[in-house]
Amino acid sequence: MKTKNVILGSMVLFALMLVSAAAFSQDKKEATIKIKTSAVCDMCKDRIEQGMAYEKGVKNIVLDVDTKIVTITYNPSKTTPDELRKAISKLGYDADNVLADKAAYNKLPACCKKDAAPKKK
Amino acid sequence: MNVCITRVVIHLIKIIVNDQFMNNSSINKIPLIFFLMLLFTWTASSQNISGNVFEKSGSGKQGALTGVNVYWAGTTTGTVTDENGKFRLARVQGGNSKLVVSLLGYRRDTIQVLKDKSKLNIEMFPGDRQLSEVEIKARQDNSFVSKMKTQATTVINIGELQRAACCNLAESFETNASVDVSYSDAVSGARQIQLLGLSGIYSQIMAENVPLIRGLATPYGLNYVPGPWMESIQVAKGTSSVVQGYESITGQINVEYKKPENAEKLYLNVYGNSNLRFEANASSAIKITDKLSTSLLVHADDFRYKFDRNGDGFMDLPKLTNINLFNRWDFINPGKWVSRLGVKYLYEDRNGGQMDFDKSSWNTDTTGITNDTKKYGIGIRTNRFEAFWKNGVFFKGSAQSSLGLILSFINHQQDAFYGINLYHGHEQNFNANLIYTAQFDGEKHKISAGASGFTDNYSENYVQTRLAYRYQYLPDTVTPTYADKFTLVNDSVYTYVMDRREWAAGGFFEYTFNLKDKFTLIAGARGDYNNRWGFLFTPRLHLRVTLAKGLALRGSVGKGYRSPNLLAENSPMLISQRVLNFAPGLTNEEAWNFGLSLTWDFNLFSRKAEFTVDGYRTSFVKQTVVDQDSLPTAVFFYNLNGQSYANVVQAQFSFQPLKQFTVLAAFRYNDVKVTEGNRLVQKALVNQYKALLTLSYATRFDKWKFDLTGQLNGPSRIPDTRKMPAVLQLPEKSPVWFNLLAQITKKFRNFEIYVGGENLLNVRQDNPIVEYFKPYHTHFDASMAWGPVVGITGYAGIRLTIK
Repeated sequence: MKTKNVILGSMVLFALMLVSAAAFSQDKKEATIKIKTSAVCDMCKDRIEQGMAYEKGVKNIVLDVDTKIVTITYNPSKTTPDELRKAISKLGYDADNVLADKAAYNKLPACCKKDAAPKKK
Repeated sequence: MNVCITRVVIHLIKIIVNDQFMNNSSINKIPLIFFLMLLFTWTASSQNISGNVFEKSGSGKQGALTGVNVYWAGTTTGTVTDENGKFRLARVQGGNSKLVVSLLGYRRDTIQVLKDKSKLNIEMFPGDRQLSEVEIKARQDNSFVSKMKTQATTVINIGELQRAACCNLAESFETNASVDVSYSDAVSGARQIQLLGLSGIYSQIMAENVPLIRGLATPYGLNYVPGPWMESIQVAKGTSSVVQGYESITGQINVEYKKPENAEKLYLNVYGNSNLRFEANASSAIKITDKLSTSLLVHADDFRYKFDRNGDGFMDLPKLTNINLFNRWDFINPGKWVSRLGVKYLYEDRNGGQMDFDKSSWNTDTTGITNDTKKYGIGIRTNRFEAFWKNGVFFKGSAQSSLGLILSFINHQQDAFYGINLYHGHEQNFNANLIYTAQFDGEKHKISAGASGFTDNYSENYVQTRLAYRYQYLPDTVTPTYADKFTLVNDSVYTYVMDRREWAAGGFFEYTFNLKDKFTLIAGARGDYNNRWGFLFTPRLHLRVTLAKGLALRGSVGKGYRSPNLLAENSPMLISQRVLNFAPGLTNEEAWNFGLSLTWDFNLFSRKAEFTVDGYRTSFVKQTVVDQDSLPTAVFFYNLNGQSYANVVQAQFSFQPLKQFTVLAAFRYNDVKVTEGNRLVQKALVNQYKALLTLSYATRFDKWKFDLTGQLNGPSRIPDTRKMPAVLQLPEKSPVWFNLLAQITKKFRNFEIYVGGENLLNVRQDNPIVEYFKPYHTHFDASMAWGPVVGITGYAGIRLTIK
């Protein structure tokens, strides 16, 4: 039946979309780096991860709030560790030896600022 | 070490129990039990954590926070801080170490508690609870069945709203299994929803707990809420709380608008589709002080392109111009006072009808009907003003009590013409609700009490010109010629005046009993005096039982009442030549609703899965029957005399095979019947069953989102056309039809673009308008629409956000 064909066709199309999206995100080179940040609370995890997700060359980024270390998987031909640290600083957080950008730091919510009450362990 | 001790104790208990109890020995068991319990409590106490929750004022001084909810994340094990901000809580076996602290007006926080920690000092910061919910959760489900709410509630989040075109509230339910959306007729473009097998008029549609779509707004009201204004929609099935009044019969739909305190600074959205309909939304939020914020939301919709793809001479969609403005001011003093003030203005102009209808030459004359030079058109012009003011005051103390006052005002003016018939409607509605809530013994007992009232003034009339053709004066023995059939010989004007003034005032009381979230009972009752219908008593009961881990059973039973607005609710009937026949002494509507639902959360292949099955029965004690079947040339409105019910059973399964991939499948069966005349018939235009399948896939960080939705609509009974001339008759049942929707969204740092398609299988109802070639003739009727009039539509849009 014509309807069945169209349904089948759209399923195939959908599957194709998924495969191409997956292929799209595959790339040849990949490097990983760990950077220490000044993240304080759970809210910072989202801010850093979402903020870095759109940086050129960033594949994956995960922040461990307990250790404050962010692990970034990136394409070394598109970005460098220094540029990544600069990007974190622009979000308002320290990155290893690079201090947070003053203007961005002031925009952070209270719990994310460095001198806020630290996370209770 | 604590774990070891517990194990030893449990082992000891087992030995003792087996020994003493099983042998039925006469040793006095009570002191033994007491001793064991002491021992157990001692070991357990070192498995407690305690602490205090405080806030720091501007000067750095520490202040205790009372009534703070402290609980283990993802569980129902928790407690509340006392007047000194102190709490004590048992650890949960299984190693859960995330503790959540939440208090209205403060940012919710999640704290990692290490194994050997037993004392905590927790500082909380002011901020709206909703704000922290959005910021802290890494990935929140787009649409979820609320686990904790006692009434079966589905929450549709902004993520879900953005999966489809969702230009307005009417289009927000495409991926929802419980709510059906359809066009109410083939000409006006109005949308109607169905919940639990019954029309949307039987559900209470509110916005932030303020009445929204009722009265004259019923036919087109779903178009009055633009998609980008909404933050979430809660759909609660079955009888709802007595706090909001007696008007809900099948459920409650509550829209939450975006709040200025956590909205984007600037939001822009532009949308266009293949029918050349364009929409623009803009909203701007400003934080004036840390407590006061305001936002302005603007929506404009322009559709001027006429097209007729099914060749019946009528525009498939009416031309539409719509401007919608919303300004709100929110004042939040955390833990003390919240005040929200909003004003809205809407202007809408709809023009539909035949392709060659010229609005500028329109008049109510009958010349030109016989020789077909008079074209048929409809025009509806709406002016609507709304204002609301909500206030909540919170009192300190362990009772966490609060007092709320909700005031709202609606002024709705609608002037329309349908062919040569004229409609005028003006409604002024004022609503006030005073609510006091308090809780005792933690969250074990809660009470809600208060009073509410409303006034509803209607000035409504419909001027219908009844047309008589020569063949109607001929005796039955004579076969009419073509000229006999279509020559207009007489016309008479009937004016239906529906002016009325209604007011009601009443009080309500609701008690909630919550046993550690294992068992919850909500019993409520309200009594109102209504000037038209007398005293109305509304009892409502809700139960929620946790049968096992992840298995919850809910039941509800309750009553609801409503006053019908026959012209506004049946406006599709006005797009016909049917004579309106109102029986004298029409009463209000009254119904009982019974519901039972089972929700099961489990792990399938160690992935999250959920299965829900529910059944509801709505049974009418009083109803205004709208009978389109007795005569195809008339609509009879009369009081129900017999049975009228809606039984609906639904099963829904949602599964996340991958973290970024969600599948939802649902099936619903409707059995809706009403007694017309003296026969119990299936209610017309309600589909017998519906199936839904949605697939949603997102790549990391939601950079790409793919959404595919398929709806299968079962057959529905078409109103009786057997008394019409054979050539005009419609089949008894509508066919099974599929609706397929798809959308792809690509997200960038500050904006996102989306492309999609609706009705991808290009399904259209053949001949949705009866006697379309002679719209002024006896059998002309555009109200019998069961499917789409417009076929496949493609759309694209862009959303820009500046935080």
